[in-house]
Amino acid sequence: MNFSRMFHNLNYAVSVLLFLMGLYTVAVKPNLIKKLIGLNIMETSVFLFIVSIGMVEGGQAPIIVEGVKSSQMVNPIPQALILTGIVVAVSTTAVALSLCLKIHERYGTLNAAEILGREEP
Amino acid sequence: MRRAAVIGALLVIGAMLLFAIGKMPAMNSRNTPDKTHVIPRYLEKGEAEGGAKNIITGVILNYRGYDTMGEVTVIFSALCAVVALLDREKRGLSRSGPDASGVRSSVIVRTVVRFAFPVILFFAVAYMMLHGEGSPGGGFQGGAILGASVIVFTLAFGLPESTRRMPLKVRIPLESTAMVAFLSMGIIGLAYGVNFLTYLLPGVHGAMAQTVRNLMLTVIEVGIGVGGGVIFISIVFAMMREDKYELQPDVPQP
Repeated sequence: MNFSRMFHNLNYAVSVLLFLMGLYTVAVKPNLIKKLIGLNIMETSVFLFIVSIGMVEGGQAPIIVEGVKSSQMVNPIPQALILTGIVVAVSTTAVALSLCLKIHERYGTLNAAEILGREEP
Repeated sequence: MRRAAVIGALLVIGAMLLFAIGKMPAMNSRNTPDKTHVIPRYLEKGEAEGGAKNIITGVILNYRGYDTMGEVTVIFSALCAVVALLDREKRGLSRSGPDASGVRSSVIVRTVVRFAFPVILFFAVAYMMLHGEGSPGGGFQGGAILGASVIVFTLAFGLPESTRRMPLKVRIPLESTAMVAFLSMGIIGLAYGVNFLTYLLPGVHGAMAQTVRNLMLTVIEVGIGVGGGVIFISIVFAMMREDKYELQPDVPQP
């Protein structure tokens, strides 16, 4: 493994770290809201990764103004894709939270283990 | 035991991912494959082809217009799912917010919100949405700020006051503006004999066609912004309405 290359791609390494943190939360925490927070952390790590791919040393925002050449701009495609991704993430989170409200109303708890234990066969 | 197994699996996944990023090209370079194929064309001809100075807006509404239309459908479906699960809020039923506990938010909070609310609203509509094609911003961002401003208002003044200012019969038509704006602007091009989402008016050529396209893109931006913002507001209202179950469970607990 090339560690100097990995340090140069620091954003990628941080997004891997965030992804693992989110996955740990989803897998270990019993509380459904905490699982959702973990899922959102994972989503954020993917957004960070894809936006970082489009970055350019000393790059400008991809908006056409006086005095900025097109060769100086960052890659606009990842930013457009991530805008889509963020909106979809918000939508899924909204639906998941309303499901959590209904689950809490039915079972009186958001603890996944308790809910599974209480379910009639 | 379970935690140890999860940590072991995560270490394996992490090692594989770190190995993969160790093989990736350097982050800030201009010569990575993602920047050498279609991107120079987008950056050079984006304004002429996409119709917006902000190339991201051009990409979202023009190059990838179908994608964005699907995305607008996704937030609308999310609203449908939330409303199907939770029902609409009804005035008088809700006990959430400051009014439920009988403690109103402090004078400082209410005064600050009262002063900040119009400024946030102006920023969302005038700068983010209407000027989104020439500066940072756009429909979805403006919609998020619009929704956030009303949510702040709701937190300070309570749900009954908020639903009185934004009643259901105002919100229902506004929720679909995003899809309606997109579809109507796309169909105009079809009538002219070109592809869906081409943003042309029949019989308009040259510099005038550019102006028309800018105008149509702005209409879509405002539609997405208002529609998205109102959808977020409705989702939050529907969730706050459900709070009454915590105070007064009317469903038998198992």
